Amino acid sequence: MSGVFFYARKDAENNKRMFIFITIAIALSTANIIILNGVMDGITDDFLDRTMETTSGHLNIYPNEKDRYIEGLGIKEQKLQGIEGVIAYSPRITAGGALSYKEKSRSVNIFALDPSKENRVTVLLSKIDSGETLKANDRDGILISYRLAEELNAKAGDETTIVFEKGNTRVFKVRGILRTGMAMDTNTVIINFETAAEQLNLNNKASIILIRLSDKALSGQYKDIVSGKLGMQKVKEWKEEVESMWSTIRTYKEIIATINAIGLFAAAVSVGVILYINIIHKQRQIGIMKAIGMKDFQILSVYIIEAAVLGTIGILMGDALGYMGIKYLQAHPFSDPTLGSIAPRLYSYLFYDASLVTMLIVILAAVYPALMAGRMNIIKAIWGN
Amino acid sequence: MEIIKTSDLTKNYTLGKVDVKALNGVDSSIEEGEFIAIMGPSGCGKSTFLNMIGMLDTPSSGEIYIDGRDVTEMNSSAMAEYRLKHIGFIFQFFNLFNELTAIENVMFPMMLNKQPNYKERAKELLDLVGLGDRLHHLPSELSGGQQQRVTIARSLANSPKILLADEPTGNLDTRSSVEIIELFRKLNLEQGQTIVMVTHSMEIGEKADRIIHFRDGKVMEG
Ligand SMILES: Nc1ncnc2c1ncn2[C@@H]1O[C@H](COP(=O)(O)OP(=O)(O)OP(=O)(O)O)[C@@H](O)[C@H]1O
Ligand SMILES: [Mg+2]
Repeated sequence: MSGVFFYARKDAENNKRMFIFITIAIALSTANIIILNGVMDGITDDFLDRTMETTSGHLNIYPNEKDRYIEGLGIKEQKLQGIEGVIAYSPRITAGGALSYKEKSRSVNIFALDPSKENRVTVLLSKIDSGETLKANDRDGILISYRLAEELNAKAGDETTIVFEKGNTRVFKVRGILRTGMAMDTNTVIINFETAAEQLNLNNKASIILIRLSDKALSGQYKDIVSGKLGMQKVKEWKEEVESMWSTIRTYKEIIATINAIGLFAAAVSVGVILYINIIHKQRQIGIMKAIGMKDFQILSVYIIEAAVLGTIGILMGDALGYMGIKYLQAHPFSDPTLGSIAPRLYSYLFYDASLVTMLIVILAAVYPALMAGRMNIIKAIWGN
Repeated sequence: MEIIKTSDLTKNYTLGKVDVKALNGVDSSIEEGEFIAIMGPSGCGKSTFLNMIGMLDTPSSGEIYIDGRDVTEMNSSAMAEYRLKHIGFIFQFFNLFNELTAIENVMFPMMLNKQPNYKERAKELLDLVGLGDRLHHLPSELSGGQQQRVTIARSLANSPKILLADEPTGNLDTRSSVEIIELFRKLNLEQGQTIVMVTHSMEIGEKADRIIHFRDGKVMEG
């Protein structure tokens, strides 16, 4: 094989300029995969984390089939306290209603919660854009989402009125403006649990109970325990809650994959075409190689080895470029009005995957020209047609 | 001992609708250690014959024995192996690898043959052809005659039994041609190489032990 390696090296050295071009194409394609997927992972991770930490517990208990509310809240809370591994829980009431400020009025989703409990489960109440958050036992305060605030032109300190489902009306003072980076920013208001229960005539009831476990990885195991002990049929894990988002994420991943494929295709074409041209150009020499006794397989190997070496160099460059790109974007993240800042992730799997896929494509692209070189007819190769 | 023998060798090419009989029943016999010149008018099948006995191409019919072996039975990989070890080629031009220096060109077949000490032997061979001072020149930095001498050195790399040369001096001036033929003669005498050389020049042909005359794809008797 030493003769094969020897010739492959010489050939590559003598086509430096062409091969530098190939290497750059490979490097860019590899870096493209790493950076785009890193950014995508950043977006999905942030998105999932944010959704999780604001809207869901590790386990969420929903009302039984046909019930609108979870009944017997007090007893359920007691039972939850008795389950080891349940760190905290927060019951919420969700309801529809209308919010009016001055002459304007909007329909809203009302989240009613107990801040002292909620704060031990989610970070929802910390997502304040301006003003203050809702404090425990603040029965008159309200947080309104920033899009609502913009539409109604309301700000912290203003007095607003809520009309509840049952027709009750109550005045609330805006404590702060909420900004979560999620869909709930459109038309959500947050008020005190007790106040809502009173207005909606709900006694000892909740719409949902969010539960925090000592470790979110335990959700599967605790799902049945909680369900059994509380006699509730509908307990969902956090994973199930975000499941609906996966289809959106998958769509984005497909878009990214398409862009990557285009980059890879460009790299593959440049590898294939440049090797092909090089081989056509060198027909005579290939004929001579065969005449002096090189086997078809050895000639094929020359070009596969060249591609593999160029691939390796290009991929290493691409990995380095990808690493620097991700580091740069982590230091200078994109900013997005709803998601906040978007920074890519630096996962090692990205480097393995990108390197492996690129190498595979590069070798595949080299196969056709290499086969062509190996199978060339000696006489035709030396003397032309 | 007979080293090359062909019997009723034919090679047909189809050019469009016309059948060309490049070889039309060639019977020939070449002894080991002979220095043969093949002569004849253009298009009479000299190169085709050389390509057949050098296993660069396969005949349409007939038999070729090299060193007692029927080579028409071999597959392409076995043929390549045989060429590597036992046959040296010298063409009229385009012989050398442009990106390899003189010494690398000579080393290459030895590396393919996993021969140890290939560097030393390449030097010796280049010395032998009088190019000991041009080891690291690229083909483009050598004259036509020097290039042919490098080619000869390379063809000798794996000590083949047979050297096949197709108009090796066709591209050279008289002085360089004479040098090449003298080199062939020297190799033939000192190393016992069997040499089969195609040439158009009577002057050069006469330097061989024997001339085989070709006409219309056949060996002329006499
Ligand atoms: N690949 C080919 N396809 C078709 N016909 C061919 C091919 N190679 C050779 N021939 C024909 O076969 C005949 C013999 O060709 P060959 O090259 O052996 O002649 P030659 O004696 O070497 O001639 P020259 O002295 O000009 O080199 C010619 O008529 C040529 O046109
Ligand atoms: Mg000829």
